[in-house]
Amino acid sequence: MIPDRIIEQGTLVTDGARASVEVRLPWYRALPGSCIAGAKLTVDGTEAPTESLRWRMNGQEFTFEELSTNIDEWWFPVDSAALSGDLPVAADGDHEVRVDLTLYIPYIIISDSETLHIEEHDTKTMTARQAQEVAA
Amino acid sequence: MTAQEALAKGTPIQGVTLYSYTRAFHGREYDLEQLIRKVAAEGHGPGLEIIGFSSFRGFPHIDDTFAGGFRDLIDEVGLVTTSLAVNADIGIHRDRMLTQDELIDYMTLQIKAAAKLGFPIARVQISITPDSMEALAPIAEEHGVTLALEVHADQYASHPRILALRDRYEKVASPFLGFTMDWGATVSGFAPSLIEAYRRRGASEELLGKVVDLWNTYYEEGPPADQAVHGQRFGSFIGLAAQNGRPDLGIDFGINGTGLFGPARVDDWLEIMPWVTHVHGKFFGIDENGEEPSVPVRDLITLLVENGYSGAVSSEYEGWHWNHWQSPFDIIAGEQAVQRSAAENAGSRMITDAAEAQQALAAHLPHTLTKGIRA
Repeated sequence: MIPDRIIEQGTLVTDGARASVEVRLPWYRALPGSCIAGAKLTVDGTEAPTESLRWRMNGQEFTFEELSTNIDEWWFPVDSAALSGDLPVAADGDHEVRVDLTLYIPYIIISDSETLHIEEHDTKTMTARQAQEVAA
Repeated sequence: MTAQEALAKGTPIQGVTLYSYTRAFHGREYDLEQLIRKVAAEGHGPGLEIIGFSSFRGFPHIDDTFAGGFRDLIDEVGLVTTSLAVNADIGIHRDRMLTQDELIDYMTLQIKAAAKLGFPIARVQISITPDSMEALAPIAEEHGVTLALEVHADQYASHPRILALRDRYEKVASPFLGFTMDWGATVSGFAPSLIEAYRRRGASEELLGKVVDLWNTYYEEGPPADQAVHGQRFGSFIGLAAQNGRPDLGIDFGINGTGLFGPARVDDWLEIMPWVTHVHGKFFGIDENGEEPSVPVRDLITLLVENGYSGAVSSEYEGWHWNHWQSPFDIIAGEQAVQRSAAENAGSRMITDAAEAQQALAAHLPHTLTKGIRA
C-alpha cells in the first residue's frame, strides 16, 4: 500500500556486529504485534540470521515469536519501529539496505481459517552511523 | 404523479473521510489536529469521518480527557462527526479466528469509542455475519450508535451476502442497523490516473489498452455472480500482464481491476436503498474537465436525491495509492464540486452548513430518537 516508505532514509545504525534500521508501516491503519508476522533485514546482499532479528516498538524489544501472540502493543501508522539483527556493517561508505515485511490484515478474512497476509519490501541506499554516536 | 415524484427530494450532507489524506498523515505532514483544522479551512466538511485504528493512538481505548479535547476541537472548527470507521479484526489471533463472544466484546469497545467521541454511526465491514449484526443491534441501540455495514467492491447491493444481511435487518427491525453505500461497487471505468501511474512504471500503451479492454468486458458482463467468477477475473488480469511481458504488474492489475473498481450498475443500490444510512463517495480522480472519469458521481448523487437521502456523503479519495503527482486537497475539492452540481441539477442541493448538517443528521438517524432530541 505504501511500500516506498518502509525504510526510513538515514537510519542505518551499526555497532560492528549488529545493524538496525527504522521501518514504517506500509498500511493505512494500526496493526497489533500479532499481525507483524515476519521480516528480513539485508545489507549489501547479506541477510541477518532469522533467529537474531529483534523488533523494537513502543519502547520495548520483541522477538518475532513474542510478537506473534501480542495483541496489546500496536504499530501506529506514524510511528517508526526498529528492526535489528546480527550483521557486521562498516560505518563508512554507502550501504544498500533491504527490508522485507509480512503483515496480516486481521479484518480481511479470505476463508474460514485464513486471514489475508501481505508481503512488502523496500530498498534504500544510505550510510551507517556508529551506535556509540547515536547514543551520545 | 409517480411514487418517485411523490418522495421528497433528499439534501445530502457534504463531507470527507480522513482516509482520503492517508498519504499526508502517514507522511507526518499533518498530525490529527492539524489535519482536522485543514479539512475545515479547505471547506471539505462539514461532515467528518475518521477511521479509528488509523487516527486515534491506542484505539479503541479512548480516555475521557482526549475525547473531551477532540469534541471541543470539532465544535471549534465547525465540523460535524458523521461516521467512525471501525474494524472487525476477526483474525487478530494468528492461530484462530475470534469466537462470536470475543467479536461482540471487540466491537462493543469500538461502539463505545464512537459514542464517546461523538460519532452517531460506526462503519462496519463485510467480515461481520448477519448473526453478529443481530447480536450487536441492542448494543448499538444502548449507546446510540447506528451500525452501517459497508457495501464495497467486490461486493454490491444485490450480492447474495448483502441481501442476506438486508433480510436479517428486516427481521430484526432495529433502526440501528443499516448500510454504508460505497461507490466503489458501482464504477463505470478503469481509473485513468491509475493507467497514468502504470505508464510511469513503464507499462506499454498496448498493454494498458488491453487492461482497459479487459475491465470493460467485465463491466459489460456485470458484477461477478460468486467468488469463483471473481477469482477467474482476478487471474485473467495476472495472465494478461504475464503474456505481455510485465508479470510484476499482474497482481496489482488484479487487485485494482476486481477489488477497487466494482462493475455493478448505479440502480443496483435500489435493492438496499431504505437501509442506506451512510455513503462513501468513493472516487479516484478528477479529469481536465473537472469530472470524475470512472465513477458516475452525478448519477449516484441523483439517485440519492431522488430517493430522499439526507444523510452524509463522505468523499473517499482512493487515488492516493498511486497518484503521487497531484494534491489530494485539490482533487477532493473538485469531486465535492461535482457532487454539489449534481445535486442542484437533480433539483436539490448538498448541505454545506454545519448547523444545518447537524439537524439533517438528527432527522436522518435513529439515535436522536432514543435521546428524545429529535425536532
